[in-house]
Amino acid sequence: MMNPGLWLLFGNAIATTVISAGIVMWILKKEYLPAIKKLEEEKDTPAKSIPDGITKEV
Amino acid sequence: MEKIIFFTVVAVYVIAGIIVTRYVKNKDDFYVMGEKGSALLIVGTLAATYLSAVTLLGLAGIIYNEGPVAHAGLGSYGAWLGTLFAVIYVGRKLKALECQTLPDFFEKRFQNKWVTVIATSIMIIGLLGYGVVQLIGAGVILSEILNIPFPVLILLFTLALLIFSAMGGMYGVVITDTLMFFTMLTIAIVISPLIIGQAGLDQIKNLGEVIPGYYGINGAADRPFGWVFSQFLMWILFFGCTPSLVSRVFPAKNDFVILKTAVIGVFFAPLMQLLVFIAAAAMMVLQPGIDPADRVFIVGMMDYTPPALAGIGLAGLMASIMSTASTLFVLTGFALAKDLFENVLHKDFNEKKSMAIGRGAQVLVAAVVCIIAILRPSSIFWISIYAGSIFAVSWMPTIIGSLEWKRMSSKAATASMLAGITTFIVFGELKRHEIIIFPVGFDHFYLGIIVSVLTLLIVGFIAKPTDYELGYYKKIKETRLSAVTIQRILAKKNGAAELKREYKQTVTVAVSFVVISVVLWGYFIVKLGI
Repeated sequence: MMNPGLWLLFGNAIATTVISAGIVMWILKKEYLPAIKKLEEEKDTPAKSIPDGITKEV
Repeated sequence: MEKIIFFTVVAVYVIAGIIVTRYVKNKDDFYVMGEKGSALLIVGTLAATYLSAVTLLGLAGIIYNEGPVAHAGLGSYGAWLGTLFAVIYVGRKLKALECQTLPDFFEKRFQNKWVTVIATSIMIIGLLGYGVVQLIGAGVILSEILNIPFPVLILLFTLALLIFSAMGGMYGVVITDTLMFFTMLTIAIVISPLIIGQAGLDQIKNLGEVIPGYYGINGAADRPFGWVFSQFLMWILFFGCTPSLVSRVFPAKNDFVILKTAVIGVFFAPLMQLLVFIAAAAMMVLQPGIDPADRVFIVGMMDYTPPALAGIGLAGLMASIMSTASTLFVLTGFALAKDLFENVLHKDFNEKKSMAIGRGAQVLVAAVVCIIAILRPSSIFWISIYAGSIFAVSWMPTIIGSLEWKRMSSKAATASMLAGITTFIVFGELKRHEIIIFPVGFDHFYLGIIVSVLTLLIVGFIAKPTDYELGYYKKIKETRLSAVTIQRILAKKNGAAELKREYKQTVTVAVSFVVISVVLWGYFIVKLGI
């Protein structure tokens, strides 16, 4: 016998984790990723100004 | 055997509480643990505060008789989402604004004595109603099991709680909560599966055929859907703003700790509840007719698990009560000392005197608890619903309005809180005495929340916010916890690498727990649902 009520019960438990993980990923993407990308760009910029051969040696 | 293990585990909590007091050196340590909380500690204190006698005694008993879906399918789901809301939205925002308590926020947002006094008074009544009364109710049951006179047990509770809260402040509460969390986890992941295993998943599934409506949305008691849905609304609105959950994030070290807690801590909420609820249904297979049903989980532990585990289980039950109650003690004490005495009366004390007042306030709370104990309330579940509703109808609209609405003013906050709570109490009493009758499916809780929101909107549109209120609203919109966290991490040596590491760790945590959740609850859907 199917128990659809239990689908709702356990489905909501899964939904809770999916919602919390989704919100956290959204916050990370919106508030932290731009800062991390900016840091990486700043790190790359001086390296690009140095000729290729020297950069690789270093 | 059970008693020896029970008292040994409780002694460990108390000794840990005493040791922790050595680390409390100033006011920040006392109120927010010096903001040093790691993800483990914040998850521990959140999960421990979440699980209380309401689940292990009240809800377990009701679910034993009526089935899990009517109460947990929407009601507990509301509590899980409310916990998420409390951590990720209200708590995170208030921590960014450097609030140390919830009434602190009302004080900073409006700088109005009446708003602070009303909000703090509602908080004290609600917290006492929710936590301390359930502690006393549980004390009645434990005193029977352990053959300890009720007043002695209450006194022991109070003394132990005073060690955590009055001496250790938030430091003591967070550390002991985390220790207790592991005992409680034993109930969920060891004791409950043992009871479920003895009944057998097939027999538990079969209850749906033996007892009509046992796995239906209305339950075996055939509760109206309007009532079932009101439970969802009540728990989401109550837990979304309850100080006992929101304040758990204030001691967090940084935003990444809060984000990890939002995933891990919120995952533990259904984990700790649903396994207990399935075990309660298993008890209906193993031993029908337990009365009063509040005792069902205790009977399960004592009669269907080995004595050593039963002892740990009882200590876990005690822990669920003590961790919730210690948080309530500490918050009620803070409310009296910091929010009412220091903020409202604008008393400026030095560190030492401020802490002394904080501790004194908690001793006062403890004394009040002992007096309330004489009343011995009967049903834990219904009292918790009443106390929760008071928060939901009065605080939630004001908190959301304060954070998101430019026109929000002290007048709108005062009117909304008073209108919501008065409507809920007055119409609840009129309904109880059958002076008025509501349509089927309409609860006086709905009326309270509608009146609270409408009053907030009407007064908000009529009364103009002050320049200070408009200025603070601007500050709310400009302040981000992520900006503070990025700034602090980058100020360290190898800060950029740490920032990237924290980012990757948080992503990994989020993905991992989604996988765990799908596998775990998917298993129960396959075994019980199909």
